[in-house]
Amino acid sequence: MAIISGVNLPNNKKGLISLTYIYGIGKNTAKKILEINNIDINKKVKDWNQKELQKIIKYITKNIKIEGELRTEIQYNIKRLKDIGCYRGIRHRLGLPLRGQRTKNNSRTRKGKRKTIANKKKVIKK
Amino acid sequence: MSRSIKKGPYINYKLIKKVKLNNTLKIKKKIKTWARNSIITPEFVGNTFLVHNGNRFISIYITENMVGCKLGEFSPTRIFKGHSGNKKK
Repeated sequence: MAIISGVNLPNNKKGLISLTYIYGIGKNTAKKILEINNIDINKKVKDWNQKELQKIIKYITKNIKIEGELRTEIQYNIKRLKDIGCYRGIRHRLGLPLRGQRTKNNSRTRKGKRKTIANKKKVIKK
Repeated sequence: MSRSIKKGPYINYKLIKKVKLNNTLKIKKKIKTWARNSIITPEFVGNTFLVHNGNRFISIYITENMVGCKLGEFSPTRIFKGHSGNKKK
């Protein structure tokens, strides 16, 4: 079992896919990591030997921001926007999209689940 | 589409003139402006701007964190006061 910064990598998957279980590493970065360390992309995690694993861990800790560190950085950036009170900060506070998307409908990712309002006037058919 | 790098950031030259005057004379005169699209440069820090939002002028005190943003980002043009019937009891 390979553990990198507190994340268990699945044993039965290819290295390329396994590395993406870590927050902050996608397919592209995973490919880069493996290529730089001369490890076959299609090699499964259980087939890695200790040396290869050590190489990967060393590379990641040296070059890439992952997991908690990355999360705190993102939170800090959002907090900065909120504190200076610029337009993007205000949108963050309201929980609305930041980049000028429409909000008449859609944008449910930012707004969350639909909240129906009770006692809203209904159109009465004659 | 973003602005060409060749041109560099847009800064209103009149604002720079006024800011320089403010900084050399060490006075804190508020600068009234309509130039919402002007980028905030490091020299602006410590000055107060009155930025027009289409209706009135909103005063903004520039801090270090604001460098790189535009002046208009700090004076919202729309005010949302909630929907009708959304009042809390």
